[in-house]
Amino acid sequence: MKKPFAIILLATLFSCQQSVTRVAPDTQIDLSGRWNDSDSRLVADKMISELMASERFKEYAKEKGRKPAIVVGLIRNKTSEHIDADTYIKKLEVAIFNSNVAEVVESEEFRDKLRLERTQQQDFADPATVAQWGKEIGANLMLFGEMTSETDTSNKKRVVNYITTLYLTDIETGKRVWYGQQEIKKFVKNG
Amino acid sequence: MTTAKSLRLALSFFALITLQACATYYQQHLDFNYEFEHGDLQQALNALKGSEAESKSRFLFFANKGLLLSVLGDYEESNAFLEKAFLFGEDYRVNYFNEGVSYFTNPNFTVYRGEDHEHLMVLYFKAINYLKMNQPQDALVECRRLNIRLNQLTDKYSSPHKLQRDAFIHTLMGIIYQSTKDYNNAFIAYRNALDVYENEYAKMFHMSVPEQLQKDLVNTAYWTGFMDEFENYKTKFGMQDYTPVQPDAELVFFWHNGLAPVKTEWGINFVIAPGPGNTMLFTNESMGMVFSFPVEEENDRRGLAALQIYRVVFPRYVERPLYFQTANLETNGAAYPLQLAEDVSKVAFQSLRQRMLQEFAKGLLRAALKKVTEQSLRKKDEGLGALLGVVNAATEKADTRNWQTLPHSIFYSRIPLVPDEKNEVKLKLLPGEGSGTDYSFTYQPQKGRTLFHTFSSLESLAPSYSF
Repeated sequence: MKKPFAIILLATLFSCQQSVTRVAPDTQIDLSGRWNDSDSRLVADKMISELMASERFKEYAKEKGRKPAIVVGLIRNKTSEHIDADTYIKKLEVAIFNSNVAEVVESEEFRDKLRLERTQQQDFADPATVAQWGKEIGANLMLFGEMTSETDTSNKKRVVNYITTLYLTDIETGKRVWYGQQEIKKFVKNG
Repeated sequence: MTTAKSLRLALSFFALITLQACATYYQQHLDFNYEFEHGDLQQALNALKGSEAESKSRFLFFANKGLLLSVLGDYEESNAFLEKAFLFGEDYRVNYFNEGVSYFTNPNFTVYRGEDHEHLMVLYFKAINYLKMNQPQDALVECRRLNIRLNQLTDKYSSPHKLQRDAFIHTLMGIIYQSTKDYNNAFIAYRNALDVYENEYAKMFHMSVPEQLQKDLVNTAYWTGFMDEFENYKTKFGMQDYTPVQPDAELVFFWHNGLAPVKTEWGINFVIAPGPGNTMLFTNESMGMVFSFPVEEENDRRGLAALQIYRVVFPRYVERPLYFQTANLETNGAAYPLQLAEDVSKVAFQSLRQRMLQEFAKGLLRAALKKVTEQSLRKKDEGLGALLGVVNAATEKADTRNWQTLPHSIFYSRIPLVPDEKNEVKLKLLPGEGSGTDYSFTYQPQKGRTLFHTFSSLESLAPSYSF
């Protein structure tokens, strides 16, 4: 009689409460084994270091005689997870911008917004401050990418290998100027 | 007043209250269910008591209110309640005090946490409301929440024999992504849905892959530029001659057919006998069930053994069979069958089935605890012990709460519309026998828009069991 009572009374003392702790953004915390912020950071770091160290990219910039302008094109996701490529592409953009090795120009979606604003300025803004047409910087390079994953499962074990490939292509010639690739392999055991 | 007298009074009062509350959740809300089943949704809405927002069944109050307001077309208000239901699921924490008390009374003493599929359905209705209000970015937020919920579901059940994934929710995510022209994510969602339909849904529910999903998967593979996948899926589905065409405008039509099952209760008689060591065995031979519980004191074991047979109640679902079996949409001389995407009823049955062992264990532990307490009290005061026995019997009740306004099944189809024109669309509902029922709708979409429409038919056949 005493034992079951004791167990239940003990349980009532430890009511489940939520706790929230702030941690450093670069702390690696893996819970489910799916793609997470640590993976995005690994990809971004690898791509940034590879781009900055790329001799071919430097040669390309030298040939152009000015900092090449890069526009982000299409990043295709062929994995089975809904991964937002912006989580590492934006980091790459910031690194390019801060390092001053290239210009970053707006993507199609935001260019449309700028053009709409410019159109409206023609009618409504002070002529001295109106943004002029035909001054946009044409991009030299477009950033493309692809994410793939291979999954192997058996009982409660799962191995996933994510491969993220990014490449810069010369818009004029279609020639690929730079490649970056990051593989992340995870072994997940449940229970 | 002596302690024994106070206890006697308290037990008598408790017995009186619980005897009045022995109805199932459905029976406790008969007025609401009557109005809802007869299609008087405004009256049903009025029958929902505001005090339930603070009750132990508040999730069901929020969900019911959200669903009814959605059907009535008040999408913003609907989403306010559905958000409350969502947040309830996010913030839900086990209250161990109530859990503990429930072992001496019944599981209705705990807060109803909601079934897995019910939490997914909250987000389904919310996303659809946003799409109807032409707020695709907000629908995408619900889409991401659905993705998190699906991942949690997969992590919760490690056994492949349990329902870990929801094909319809993956399909819905694909539909939402496609409506925002994010074909890559739509493709991923459709491909995941296909996998679930071909495996879990085929084995557990004998369901086939909706043709609409096959088309959407092929289309989004093509529009994303996955040409290998495009060719492979065309071959797999026998669509070699198919060429994707981007319609200028389209309609995604969801048909909510019938009503979800209702939870009621059933009892099993267990024979109680001493087991090895300090254990007591609860056995039901016909069902092949044996549960062992440790009982430390010999007197308690003897007392329990004297009971010989004990009845324990558990929840069960009762299906409300479909009245309408099939439906078609007709427009511009073409017919589009509405295809089964989710059998909510079967999903509900499956979710209860796969945790039935847990329910048995809980029910029996409750029975054992009640009886051991009764035996101990009898030793001190026979009358009080007997009274506790009455209270125990009166409080023995299964948790019969579930979201009963959900549809039995969800069917859907995608049809092309002519932009900037009035499109007349006829919905034909067909029962198993007899003539069908027609409804007409007019849509006038802008170019490039995807419109969303849900239609609920609440008709059901009489269930095989009364609740």
